[in-house]
Amino acid sequence: MFRKTNIRFIIIGITLVLAGYALYWTFAYHSFSAQKLDDLRTQGKLDRYEKRIIRLGLDLQGGMHVVLELDLPKLVGSLASNRTAEFNALLQSAGREALVSGEDYFSVLRRTIAATDVKLVRHFSGRGYKNDEIIDNLEEESKDALMRAIEIIKNRVDQFGVSEPTIQKAGKYRIIVELAGIKDASRARSLIQNTALMEFVLVKDPQVTQNFIAAVDNYLRTGKSEELKTTSPKDSTVALKESKDKAMSISELLGGPEGSTPLSADSSDSGLVVDEEIYKERPFSSLLRNVGNQIGVPERNVYAVKKILNDPQVQKLIPFDSQFLWSAKPERLTTQDGKTENFVIIYHLNREVGLPGKFVTRASATIGSGDQTSGQPIVNMSMNNEGAKIFSKLTGANIGKQLAIVLDEKVYSAPYIRVKIPNGSAYIEGIGDMNEAKDLAIVLRAGALPAPVNIIEERSIGPSLGRDSINTGIRLGIIAFLIVIVFMFIYYRSAGLLADLALLLNVVFIMAILSVLQASLTLPGIAGIILTVGMAVDANVLIFERIREELEKGKTVRAAIDTGYARATITIFDSNITTLFSALILMQFGTGPIKGFAVTLFWGITSSFFTAVFITRTIFNWVTEKWVVKKLSI
Amino acid sequence: MRIFKQTSIDFVMHYRTFVTISVIYITLAVIIFFLRGLNLGLDFTGGTLLQVKFEKPVTTANIRQALTTINQQDAVIQKSSNVDEFIIRAPMTFATDSAASVITQALQTIPENSFETIRAEQVGPKIGKELRSSAVKAVLATLVVILVYISIRFKFEFALGAVIALIHDVLFTLGIFSIFRLEFSLSTIAAFLTIVGYSLNDTIVVFDRVRENMKTRRYNTIEELFNVSINETLSRTIITSLTTLIVVLVLVFVHGEVKNFSIALIVGIIVGTYSSLYIASPVVLIWHKRLASQKQLMQTSR
Repeated sequence: MFRKTNIRFIIIGITLVLAGYALYWTFAYHSFSAQKLDDLRTQGKLDRYEKRIIRLGLDLQGGMHVVLELDLPKLVGSLASNRTAEFNALLQSAGREALVSGEDYFSVLRRTIAATDVKLVRHFSGRGYKNDEIIDNLEEESKDALMRAIEIIKNRVDQFGVSEPTIQKAGKYRIIVELAGIKDASRARSLIQNTALMEFVLVKDPQVTQNFIAAVDNYLRTGKSEELKTTSPKDSTVALKESKDKAMSISELLGGPEGSTPLSADSSDSGLVVDEEIYKERPFSSLLRNVGNQIGVPERNVYAVKKILNDPQVQKLIPFDSQFLWSAKPERLTTQDGKTENFVIIYHLNREVGLPGKFVTRASATIGSGDQTSGQPIVNMSMNNEGAKIFSKLTGANIGKQLAIVLDEKVYSAPYIRVKIPNGSAYIEGIGDMNEAKDLAIVLRAGALPAPVNIIEERSIGPSLGRDSINTGIRLGIIAFLIVIVFMFIYYRSAGLLADLALLLNVVFIMAILSVLQASLTLPGIAGIILTVGMAVDANVLIFERIREELEKGKTVRAAIDTGYARATITIFDSNITTLFSALILMQFGTGPIKGFAVTLFWGITSSFFTAVFITRTIFNWVTEKWVVKKLSI
Repeated sequence: MRIFKQTSIDFVMHYRTFVTISVIYITLAVIIFFLRGLNLGLDFTGGTLLQVKFEKPVTTANIRQALTTINQQDAVIQKSSNVDEFIIRAPMTFATDSAASVITQALQTIPENSFETIRAEQVGPKIGKELRSSAVKAVLATLVVILVYISIRFKFEFALGAVIALIHDVLFTLGIFSIFRLEFSLSTIAAFLTIVGYSLNDTIVVFDRVRENMKTRRYNTIEELFNVSINETLSRTIITSLTTLIVVLVLVFVHGEVKNFSIALIVGIIVGTYSSLYIASPVVLIWHKRLASQKQLMQTSR
């Protein structure tokens, strides 16, 4: 028996040493001065520590957790060589159906296409002949696109400079991005989410645009869509004075309030900026203003203009080889009568891309020094030889025309081509501030995502809230722990102290396991530890109550301890194993906050078998073997 | 120190009264649940939550004004316990543009005041739906695993008693959440599974004693067997429930997610203790008696 107790002590000793080693790194890391940390970093040794310390979850150190999903309908659409409006509508409706039913997009697409007589081979080239064959190919391509998207996002995040980012694939078409210590969530969001598809596109001849506007006016006035060849419809020109104040607005994204339809004659109530006289004559032009040489739309009219442009009849009037895109930022301008208005510029562009952005090899943010851009943030770009050649040809052939720089379907600027540009250098202006310019340069260097990605889940915590959480978490943990410790001592005396030791070791083991598993400690995780303390104490309560019972039956101390442990262990096993099951199920269930809770609960209960049963038993054995105990302090 | 000396409370005698009380309450709770539903949190409904701290004082009306520009005047704006801090909940999510960004930009239109985003959460409708279904799956999976495990370790009627007690606890707590409109979020599910595990803990301790006493003690009636077993484990049941309760009471003071989680746990621990004393054992008893009377019937008819 004596030797057996020795073996037990050796086992306990080994586990304690292992736990101590596992925790050593965390203690060492936190005891280092900033200077020492810096030294270790330059020597490349810090890595060793960072891989072994207890990691704090995003909710405790602040940061963001984002789940992105590849926009499959848009990806498939962009892969098509021949896109018609009906085909796009088909892709989108399959997307919506997949969203509602929660099915896989491609199975829905397969079904939708099987129900129609669409021949996919008309829309895709080089991907096979049969519908099924083509969809298989597209599915493969999408998986590939996801992997590429992950690489690109990794690249962007690395250049942005975030320590220990997590970027991983989740599910079939999802990416989880976790960035610790992010202060500006919006900035990080656009950095990872922007498709960054840049294109140089020629602006349509103004005459063509004027004809279109006149045709729309005519259609709205008469309800008939015949093309009219009227000229100069810009009587509603207002002279504008530029203002320095560039307030940002998001109306461009959302449009005006739902009720403001442009077709209601009562323009004063609708909130539109319209001259009623002109409105009767030219309903569409009355919504537009001449800004410089461009077509400006007062922000309040944006919704109305979008609505008109989306009208199916109006869509037919748009020349087939052209498209309308909006400027990236509204401009704050003062009209003649002294009112300030936000204006968004609408551009009529070729559908054909003049030069795709993939040729851009270098991009850097700087402050402009030219006449136009002096003092403003710009992004300088240079292209590879192939790109430079195309760019040179493009600029040479179109001197005097406007070339729009389009990023993610928004126009940043549309300068006039004055001379042929042979060396493949260009710059983007019209950027909000220097930070935005820097981020833009990063995304241009890292390349465009193969398809847009949508944020389907995001949780971000500011660093101050994280600090608060960790402080309250730890403080409350200690309070709870102390209450239990004091209670156990009062109720069970010396035996209670033993249980307290077991509890303390249990927390040590949980921490050690967390650092070995490299699992992050989260706020729910701390809750899990606190709860484990409550449940681990139950094991000792069960044992001690049983020993008391056996003592009351008149058993000797030694016999009471033996029977107490033997009986209670069965109970503890049966009752804890079911909690282990629920913890395991929770771990599978797996989203961030719950997982953190389940992990600590699972390991806490597992290690409580060791601390509350094995360790306390060993000490009981040792005491009763060493001394003749007549009366147990329990 | 001892709180409970040898007790001999007759738990089983009044089981009809307690079972009736529970059945009435749960029926009411289920009716309220179906009438009013649950106050589902962001995790399950999808939507956007933004917690912002302003530099200078600002009113709810100011914020609502700013949100009107993006058509989100129906957003729920709630003042947090900290000064000039607000929690904004909007039902919207956008596919391509981040709803949190859109709201942040709208708030920037509030003149002469800057703010810091303390917390931003947005859950798309797809995720909300997935979380709902996996939550239901998780609870069901846990119940099935428990049913199987106890059937193996004990007997089927014990497993039945335990699972009915668990369903009792879950419905009871669900009722509380429905009646008091407490927010039901992802962490509430975690709390429910913990309640399931915890309440089962209590029940198993009693059953374990019944199993042991069946072998070692002489007893006249099955009621006596249960009564003795419950009384013998009563001291442990109360002490464990109390310590756990104290610990969880402390957790209530953590803000946010953890708070609702602890409320669910407090209700669950009290109900769990009650159900292992007054619900789980009667179910075994009733089952046993019905079996016995059926046997008798078969014997007499023979």
